[in-house]
Amino acid sequence: MTGLRNDDLRAAALFALAFALLLVSSRFAQGARLWDQALAILALSSFVVIVAFGQHFVVLLGGLDLAVASVMTLGGILIFGWAQASPSALLWAVPAVLLITALIGALSGAGVSLVRIPPFIMTLAMGIIIASAVLGITQGVPHGAASPVLSALFTASWLGVPRVIVLTIALTALGTLVERRTVLGRRIYAIGANREAAHLAGLPVNTVTVLCYAISGAASGLAGILMVGYASGATLELGQSYLLPSIAAVIVGGTSIAGGRGTLLGVAGGAVLLTTLSATISALAIAEGWRIVIYGFVILAALLLLRGELYGSIRARITHTRNLERNPA
Amino acid sequence: MTDPVRLRRALRTTARWSFFALALFALVLLRGGAGGSAIAQTPHKFKIYLSLSVSGNAWLSEAANSVKALAATPPYDKQVEIHEVISGLDPQKQISDYESMIDSGADAIISMPVSTTALNRTIKRGCDKGVMFMMFELTVLEPCAYNVSTLTSGFGENSAQALVNELHGKGTVFVVRLIPGFIADKRHYAGAMSVFKKYPGIHTIEFYGNASDETVQVETSKMLAAHPNPDGVWSTAGESGVIKALLATGRQRLVPVTGESSNGFRLALANPEYQRRGLRGVSSGGTPATAAYAFKLMMEMLTKQRTNVPHYVEYPLPWVPANAVKLCSGDRFANGCNAFPRTRVQDSFFDEIFSPAILPELSLRAASEGKPTPGMRIHKLTNPIVPAPNEPGITCDRCTPPPNLYHLTKVKPTV
Repeated sequence: MTGLRNDDLRAAALFALAFALLLVSSRFAQGARLWDQALAILALSSFVVIVAFGQHFVVLLGGLDLAVASVMTLGGILIFGWAQASPSALLWAVPAVLLITALIGALSGAGVSLVRIPPFIMTLAMGIIIASAVLGITQGVPHGAASPVLSALFTASWLGVPRVIVLTIALTALGTLVERRTVLGRRIYAIGANREAAHLAGLPVNTVTVLCYAISGAASGLAGILMVGYASGATLELGQSYLLPSIAAVIVGGTSIAGGRGTLLGVAGGAVLLTTLSATISALAIAEGWRIVIYGFVILAALLLLRGELYGSIRARITHTRNLERNPA
Repeated sequence: MTDPVRLRRALRTTARWSFFALALFALVLLRGGAGGSAIAQTPHKFKIYLSLSVSGNAWLSEAANSVKALAATPPYDKQVEIHEVISGLDPQKQISDYESMIDSGADAIISMPVSTTALNRTIKRGCDKGVMFMMFELTVLEPCAYNVSTLTSGFGENSAQALVNELHGKGTVFVVRLIPGFIADKRHYAGAMSVFKKYPGIHTIEFYGNASDETVQVETSKMLAAHPNPDGVWSTAGESGVIKALLATGRQRLVPVTGESSNGFRLALANPEYQRRGLRGVSSGGTPATAAYAFKLMMEMLTKQRTNVPHYVEYPLPWVPANAVKLCSGDRFANGCNAFPRTRVQDSFFDEIFSPAILPELSLRAASEGKPTPGMRIHKLTNPIVPAPNEPGITCDRCTPPPNLYHLTKVKPTV
């Protein structure tokens, strides 16, 4: 439980850091309202949060999903072609897209767990296959139309908050519930911590692995669907820029790359921090190259400052001080 | 002793068989000759490789589709055997692909190169083996290659001046750049900054959009969160994303935007409501039509219809101000139209793939699917071929650029 508390502290620190950055950004921005800025950044963060949602479950197992960008593009292209302008078509098209992308993820998971192909190779190959198939089928130019219902997720709001933010919060809450309060969640942590031990303990290692990759596929598909709503269109580059940010958000969020440790809340915090950081650095009127340098340094500093050991040492120091106060001798 | 009768009979038989063998040989020779002439009469098909760098981008997809459509249009359909290869953004991969194409007996390679210098040695080897290299939009510095491009036609400086004119010489301008390291990004940016720097009242904030509508939209939204009140946007490819990001903020006041030729951008420029809210601008930029034009030029050289082609050819700069946007009712530019209804093409579709004077063979079908326009035949190029000026790093290596390198050709300064 101590580990979980550390991870929660880390998530809180990430959100606090993002808020502090936002305050700095609003000082630079002329005429920007803090609330509007926060909503804009949260809406933009939603894509990274959702892709990182799936990536998190795979990394928790000690794996990696390099197919997220291609699967996200596929999800966008499919919904663009199937749903078009018809709201009723979304009723079958969205579940169909999620099912297909989940199946692609499951296939990667099966390759990793049953055929023992390293996750890096399996998902890279899957990503290339999907990207090439999409290119071959569309000839580079996807046909379809963006559904107004999907676009409304970004323009319409509930109590002044864009619907996509509410959706992202709900998804994060659901994921947190799954990883903390369900048998599946416990099994994911157990397998990630020690795969062999989990196997010997009789846990369904292969089934859970396939399921986690399926979740990653479906999450990428969902991000693709949302991107079509945001951009009111689809291109074959739709998911291109979300692979590295999804991994970065997972790592900054505190999920161990070796597996078995980390929380979805931390990942959401990591995604929001990275997006806020990117927007804040944009406020600095300096050349793009230097912006990226600053971006890299800030991420490095955040990783160093937010190491789990830091919380452990702070807690140990506090406990030590209290003990000294109680027993001065 | 040998019997003379037998000997005579043997000689006669040998002579008879020898005559028969000679006759048979002559017949075979004759048949072979006839066969040879039949082969000679079969039209020679040029083995042509279409070598692309990235894939999936609307610009390059249209470029590739237009070349494939032209290759399937009579009479090229009988003259060309085309193979498409996608090399990615790694110069080593494109070098390796070029090497394979040369060794497989290519007659010509039409390509969008990923580097102006890294491919030179391989291109020279190909030229020495008789392979023709034709580059479109991005150039190489190997002198034996041919290049067709808009790079030198002044998109950056002309569009920047148009924006400055709209802003009366002052204001904050978002500068949306292309892809880091791309020669096109460097040239367009240098041209634009040559204008912006003349006006102390203009403040620029730059970022990269990676030539993708979605990335440009996301990055512009981030920039708007930090700088909510820009006075104008100068954009390379991805300008549709700029418009969507501006609209997504829910603001009433729009600002002048200049960009390339995506259909969504042109529709926005022509939208009376957006115009009332302050959207002005011009649609210009690099065009995928350079690929189709380069292909036709290459075919005319291969079929000996044209000689003395300059190695660096400048493609005319498209220039469509907001008040000149006109919707097409058909499947190509006609009667001065230059944009399509949203029901026909996506926002990211580059309208300037069409040129009634240079590429009348192309239609929406050709640009979107790579299939020939029904009933169409190839038209010979009749437009004057404009040699590109000296530009270090684009058309020459260590050359002196003209003193008026960034001179304005489409717009005059009004401030």
